[in-house]
Amino acid sequence: MAGRRAALKAVDWAAFAERVPPSQRAMFNALKTRNDALTARLAALPEKPPAIDWAFYKAHVAKAGMVDEFQKKFSALKVPEPVDTQTAKIDAQEQEAAKSTAEYIQASKARIAQYEQQLQKLKNMIPFEQMTYEDLYEAFPESTVHKDKHPYWPHKPIADL
Amino acid sequence: VLHTTRPLHTTQQSLAPLPPLPEKGGEVRHGLIPEEFFQFLYPKTGVTGPYMLGTGLVLYLLSKEIYVVNHETAAAACILAVIIYGIKKFGADVAAFADKLNEEKVASAVAMKNEAVQTLQAAIEEEKKEQWRVEGRSFLFDARRNNIAMLLETNYRERLLLVYNEVKKRLDYQVAMQNLKRQKEQDHMIQWVEKNVIQSITPQQQKESIAKCILDLKALSRSAHAAV
Repeated sequence: MAGRRAALKAVDWAAFAERVPPSQRAMFNALKTRNDALTARLAALPEKPPAIDWAFYKAHVAKAGMVDEFQKKFSALKVPEPVDTQTAKIDAQEQEAAKSTAEYIQASKARIAQYEQQLQKLKNMIPFEQMTYEDLYEAFPESTVHKDKHPYWPHKPIADL
Repeated sequence: VLHTTRPLHTTQQSLAPLPPLPEKGGEVRHGLIPEEFFQFLYPKTGVTGPYMLGTGLVLYLLSKEIYVVNHETAAAACILAVIIYGIKKFGADVAAFADKLNEEKVASAVAMKNEAVQTLQAAIEEEKKEQWRVEGRSFLFDARRNNIAMLLETNYRERLLLVYNEVKKRLDYQVAMQNLKRQKEQDHMIQWVEKNVIQSITPQQQKESIAKCILDLKALSRSAHAAV
């Protein structure tokens, strides 16, 4: 009976709850309630049903052979275990998740590198009091005025003022 | 003499950013004459030297009529007086106002830069947090697998229990049937025996038994009286 039952892995719900982003909190709560319900159901059932007292029945049932027959058939009976169809799917999902996670972490690291670069640039900038307009355009390329495209002041579309 | 062979603006020092311009211009006395002139003449002529020089020059120009006093001199004097009065009275305020305008521009630029720095740092924090969050994905799959295992186990136990209950019900039914039959037989027999006994009591026997009962009661009452 214990041979085919995979031991339940202890899930640290507190740590799990910490890492859930607020947008997925509802799903997490649903999962937790389901898990709790199942645990309660499991705990309510005994592991083995109580043994039938064959001696008592043999003494009391008058019909000859009935109890013996029952006993023979009962011990020969093998209750089929439910087949597990879903664990394979979950494993596959886990593999996929691992892959996509690795990709996401890569992208995230690239983003962090970009941010760090920008941060360094901003930190190493010369203070505004010592800047000329040329230095300003160098430091913030988006503030350049295109005197070639808009030759007349204010050198940018009126809507951008 | 300019050394044309010396290369300009090529060394590391010249590629560096220029040092900032000084905040204030050179010192001047009376708004016109640089302080360096007075310092230049101080060793030879002391404090009053440049003033003597100036007075002498002005008197020389006037007396020799190198500068001729005419109508325009009066006009120039009046205009200069007004200008100097205006500058002395309002100069500081105007300067402060212009400085404030500049300050505001610089402050807004600095504020923008600070905001950008804050945003970047917050973004970096967010990314790190998301990476940490992602590490917890194994919990989810473990929980789901647990759910499945629990379901299966529950199902199996329920099946075992069902088998046990069914068998027990059938056996109990047999036992209960037997007990019921025996009970009914007993009751019926008792009733039959009672009925027969009552039938067999003849009227003569009844009278005799009643007389005997009355005698017994009298005896009992006598013994009760005696006890009291």
